Amino acid sequence: MRRREPPPLATWMLTHLTPGDRDEALDGDLLEVFQLGRSNAWYWQQVTSACLLSWGSNLYARRAPLAFAFLWSILSPVWYAILERIDTSQNFDKGSHIFGPFWLPLVLVIWVVLHAAFLWAGILVYRLANAALKRPLQSSDLSRAFWIAALILPPVYGLSFLFANLYWYSVPGLAGARLAATTWGQVSDLGILPNLIRVPYFVAMAAALWGTVHRIRRSDSSAFFDSPSQDFLSEPGATSSIRRALFLVSGAGLVNSMIAAFFFCHLPDSDSVTFVSLLTKALRFVCLGALGGIVGSWLYWKSPASPLRKGSPLPFWLFALTCAAGWIWVPALVLLAEQFSAATAFVAMIGAFALATALKTETWFVFEPAQPNPSQWTEGDLFAEALYRPPVEPYGYIVALCLFAAGAAFKTHSIYTAALMLAASASVFAWRNTVPQRPEFEPSLPIKRSVRRVAIALIPATLLTMWALLDGIAHRSAAIEASAATAAAQSDPTTPKDPNASIATAGAGGYQSVVLWPFPRKKEIIPPLIANDSLLKPGTKSPLIIRFNGPYWILQPPLKAPGLHAHIAKGTPVSVDLQSNNAEALVMNAHQKLARPIPIARCREIDIEIENRDNRAGIISIGLFVNDESSTPRRTLYIGQQPIASTEPEKFYVKTSPTFETIRFPVPPSASLRNFDEITLMFLPDIEHTFVAPKIAIQQFELFPR
Amino acid sequence: MTDRGYLGEFELMILLAIIHLGEEAYGVPISRELEKHRGKDVAIGSVYAALERLEAKDLVISALGDPTPERGGKAKRFFRITKQGLRKVHETRRVLTGLWQTIPDLKFDPR
Repeated sequence: MRRREPPPLATWMLTHLTPGDRDEALDGDLLEVFQLGRSNAWYWQQVTSACLLSWGSNLYARRAPLAFAFLWSILSPVWYAILERIDTSQNFDKGSHIFGPFWLPLVLVIWVVLHAAFLWAGILVYRLANAALKRPLQSSDLSRAFWIAALILPPVYGLSFLFANLYWYSVPGLAGARLAATTWGQVSDLGILPNLIRVPYFVAMAAALWGTVHRIRRSDSSAFFDSPSQDFLSEPGATSSIRRALFLVSGAGLVNSMIAAFFFCHLPDSDSVTFVSLLTKALRFVCLGALGGIVGSWLYWKSPASPLRKGSPLPFWLFALTCAAGWIWVPALVLLAEQFSAATAFVAMIGAFALATALKTETWFVFEPAQPNPSQWTEGDLFAEALYRPPVEPYGYIVALCLFAAGAAFKTHSIYTAALMLAASASVFAWRNTVPQRPEFEPSLPIKRSVRRVAIALIPATLLTMWALLDGIAHRSAAIEASAATAAAQSDPTTPKDPNASIATAGAGGYQSVVLWPFPRKKEIIPPLIANDSLLKPGTKSPLIIRFNGPYWILQPPLKAPGLHAHIAKGTPVSVDLQSNNAEALVMNAHQKLARPIPIARCREIDIEIENRDNRAGIISIGLFVNDESSTPRRTLYIGQQPIASTEPEKFYVKTSPTFETIRFPVPPSASLRNFDEITLMFLPDIEHTFVAPKIAIQQFELFPR
Repeated sequence: MTDRGYLGEFELMILLAIIHLGEEAYGVPISRELEKHRGKDVAIGSVYAALERLEAKDLVISALGDPTPERGGKAKRFFRITKQGLRKVHETRRVLTGLWQTIPDLKFDPR
């Protein structure tokens, strides 16, 4: 007889979409009844009701802490406003001068403590309220709640911050939302911004207080049957919680290793380095990566919420040594990522492969599914099992999809996405294909093996870190040389320029800077400046119209002008797509030279007509400068800054046709500048346009006489 | 655990099923017993939810049996009524019987 299997998705839902403290005997009961001939529809119905009922009873049992978390989070905008005042105070800024490079990590710690203080106060209030109601809480539960509150808040807060930034202009009312000025107003305000502030506090408080309620304390060993099992992993539910904890701890170590590398692994100050100094630095960074991972995983291993604290199938040091084989690649990864190097993705792949292989090799006994005891099967059962077709495994598809996504990400220069995808594919592949070397668990052998593995991986990881350091130094030197050359060229206009050099590319597949010249018009209707009709003539009322025919400069700070290797092309920003292929922001300027100087006292207003084809949300402003090139030194007057109305949230929409808009700049009557012969427009984008040039073109200028 | 009130209808049925089944009282036979007498399907999840409530009230106790391959390696959870549970069942029976005796005979009307 062929053995029937229930729908795998339903079984997965029953295992993963139900609370952790659910009775797993229910799974066996459902399977037993299903094997007696019940239909798939019946199984689905039972699983659905089991999921709903288990969550319902869980939430009902914890209605008191959830209600308290909700009420306490109502107050959170008040605390947020207080912390905002601290954050923007001048005394707070002085810390960066006092603590130097340690200020940023210190600020992070202070941030977590200050925000968690609100939750800790809430936990204390909850404890007092329970004591008053004669329902005292256990001190171990409370200490765990304190830890969980501090650990849960930062990621949830980060997610809500990310959401707010991503949808700042998409969610109606979010862009212009402000907190009320009064305390009562902050508490009673149910607007989008206060509620967005409340969400992370509610989630963190609910998670912290969740464990203070114990629905039922069952001893999983038999009370009236003799089947005690003291083996740690044989306890029902223990394996899955240990698996989850081990994944979490290794992930925490990885994140901590990356944080440590981000803060402490930097390029050497000097460009002249020796092999020994570079090797020493690389070794130090590699050790730092491993140490960061060990500290991070230790914190989670020992946290009160961790099931590993009570007992673990493997000692912490074995686990740390195992994962260190992956963490030592992190410094090279971070250094290359800071340079936006394509090699980042490959280092991520190597590190993920090493981590997954090591973890699977040493913790196989936790992750391997339990094999049924052959003695319990009859001959018929064995024959039936031989005919049984194993379920299709999705891992091959996952690896293929990740590789495909990584390729697509490479094509679009999304190096971080490519790194993530390659790391995912490598870890899944390594996890599925790693075969444990020994079927028995002997503590001494895995430790020796782990030490040997780390020692072997240390050599290529150090060499790779050295290469990342050298690559970073080379890039930095090239950037400094380019800036110096540009500055020298600007200071000495007599230096002849190599026409071939201007179209040379710089960097990996990109341009150092770009100059766009609009296409020449077929018929110049109005010349740049008509002498007889200029603003110089007294009594002139009609505006002077100047068609824009100057260049657009697209460059990256610290460059202030296109370098010698700038790419020069025909086109306007609306006809080309320009984006940064590294982590540096793009800056776009437009320059219009005038045929002759215009006295600024005669100019009342400068209107700029633009063509907006930009489909990204986010306000773009334009800053207007007028320059006097003939004076020595060159003088510049800042006229002002105006937002482009068609990019504002209430006016923004996905443009199927271009929007034409006029931006008006009143010119002050008295100015330090007498004449101007150049107009410069600087595009001031928001965060959405940090790495892409806005698709906005200048049409013409209108200068109104005073 | 303090007594919080009377038994619900479903809880009473489960307690009676546990008494009837004796040492074989675990999720599957309990729900089968309920289906037999009620004449309709029972969600095993709801049986477990009720059993958990009863266990929290100390009316039943539970223990795990041995895992078997037919159940995907999951152990059975056997339930047994406690003295307090038995007392509760008797008390509920006494109250219900007394209430029924105060009501005159009802004629069954199928409409």
